[in-house]
Amino acid sequence: MAMIFKTRSRSRETLLRLAAYGTILVALVLTLFPVYWIAANSFKFDIDIFAVPPEWVPRNPTLKHYDQAFIERPFLRYALNSFLVAVGTTAIAVIFGTMAGYALARFTYPRQWRKHVSFWILSTRMMPPIVSIIPLYLFFNYFDMLNTKAALIIAYTAFNLPFATWMMKSYFQDLPVELEEAAIVDGDTRWGAFLHVALPLARPGLAATAIFCLIISWNEFLLALVITLTEQSQTLPIGIAGRVTQYTTYWGEISAAGFMACVPIVIFAFIVQKHLVRGLSLGAVKG
Amino acid sequence: MKSSSAASLETGGRFERWAERRLRYLMLAPAVLILLALTIFPSLYMFYAAVHRISPNPDLPWQFVGAANFARLLSDGQFQVALRNTAIFTTVAVSVEFLLGLGLALLLDKYIRRLTFLKTVLMVPMMLPPIAVAITWKLIYEPQFGVLNEIMYRLGLPTQAWAGDVDLAMFSIIVADVWQWTPFIFLLMLAGLASLPVEPYEAAELDGASSWRQFWDLTIPFLKPVIAIALLLRVMDALRLFDLVFILTGGGPADRTKVLSLYIYQVAYRFADPGYAAAISLFVLFVTVVLSTWFMKRMRLVE
Repeated sequence: MAMIFKTRSRSRETLLRLAAYGTILVALVLTLFPVYWIAANSFKFDIDIFAVPPEWVPRNPTLKHYDQAFIERPFLRYALNSFLVAVGTTAIAVIFGTMAGYALARFTYPRQWRKHVSFWILSTRMMPPIVSIIPLYLFFNYFDMLNTKAALIIAYTAFNLPFATWMMKSYFQDLPVELEEAAIVDGDTRWGAFLHVALPLARPGLAATAIFCLIISWNEFLLALVITLTEQSQTLPIGIAGRVTQYTTYWGEISAAGFMACVPIVIFAFIVQKHLVRGLSLGAVKG
Repeated sequence: MKSSSAASLETGGRFERWAERRLRYLMLAPAVLILLALTIFPSLYMFYAAVHRISPNPDLPWQFVGAANFARLLSDGQFQVALRNTAIFTTVAVSVEFLLGLGLALLLDKYIRRLTFLKTVLMVPMMLPPIAVAITWKLIYEPQFGVLNEIMYRLGLPTQAWAGDVDLAMFSIIVADVWQWTPFIFLLMLAGLASLPVEPYEAAELDGASSWRQFWDLTIPFLKPVIAIALLLRVMDALRLFDLVFILTGGGPADRTKVLSLYIYQVAYRFADPGYAAAISLFVLFVTVVLSTWFMKRMRLVE
């Protein structure tokens, strides 16, 4: 009797497992198909992109669009701009966000300051970009900073810094304070304890924070659309959007550039993936 | 030699001791100052703009109109349409993303914990530039040669205009947004599940609690802080949706996908009325802050 019961529950378990694998497989196909479609279209001639019925696999693969995007058109310039802006913003947000996050996690302040400052920093993240666009536009116009990468870095810092502070704060809160105390007893300063003890321990959190800041700044569209108008300052998303013109949409070129745009981030994500999940589980989770 | 280095330590020590005493403020100061400069100034400026009528001609002075721009909101039919569309989009998209993200995370956590690369693969949509995502979906939705209609046709289902159809446009936007941002919820949930304690589950197992009961009585309460943060971030982002509608539908057809961000953009740049755009922006900011504050207090996200 017991035997029968056990086999039955085991076969039910197998069935559940199969259903789970099936669901995950469907999710994978749905997730990857549009990515594949971008890649596939980037290797097709224009006429084949519009083929009816669609060409599931490029029949006459070509690198024409990559040549157009990266040799004839300045997509490398856009990518370089995106890179500089993303790295600049990420550096500022991570450095100052880490310091502020550490301060809010470790120090006490008079009159509930800690609570108020934490909340205020969090609340600055709520301002939708569209809301700050007009004043930022006027501000950059006044200081003659439109069409500069510095303007984009400043603007992006406004929404990455609160995020970084918040992540790092919860991260440091999870580290045991005793290690820093021990370092201070051994003769290190308070700042030294932060630099030599807390910071190295927080490396996974730094990685997770950095990749999110990078993704956000690398892909941002709306602020860049308003603040930059020249090729020398425009970023990749603006370059891509620029190929949707009133008369034609350059699908092949857009696919080539869009596909290439995600490659560096995906590679980076694979490299830091261990830190990413761990970083998030220790950071954002405990707000 | 020894005494001079001691002396320099002494002089350096005074500054160092001062810095050490003030460290709690010095470490906080850069972030606070940057954020003050970048948020307080725009907010005040925007408030100033919102009570003025601003001519597209920069040489003309701003004309003070008091609350007129805010009063306009009440009778502006387009604004109400945008507000309604934003509410529909935010509610539906975030709910679907949450259910799918949580479900997938539970499945993956239970059945294929080891395959970490699978997690990164499922996260790829989040890493693509939203603008490229929008353009790709436009191609997929294309009524004549789009791949979605080909699949519909092969399955014997009716083909549609998707993003160009009055009734399906919002649905099409939501599908694309769900595709891109479910991975974000999925990742946060997965991280939350990875940090669950084991003991309560062993105890529940001994008590003979069903897996359904364990899910409701243990997993959900434990995940509550993650769920709260994931929802908060997604709602804040959904309220500012722009790229997808800008490319996929431009707000049409018949204003069915005109959301607040797009409307503000149109008012400011196409209708060249920054004063009124600032008033709408302030309204959106007000709603976001009130909603988020209420939500964070309720979920006890700030101590």
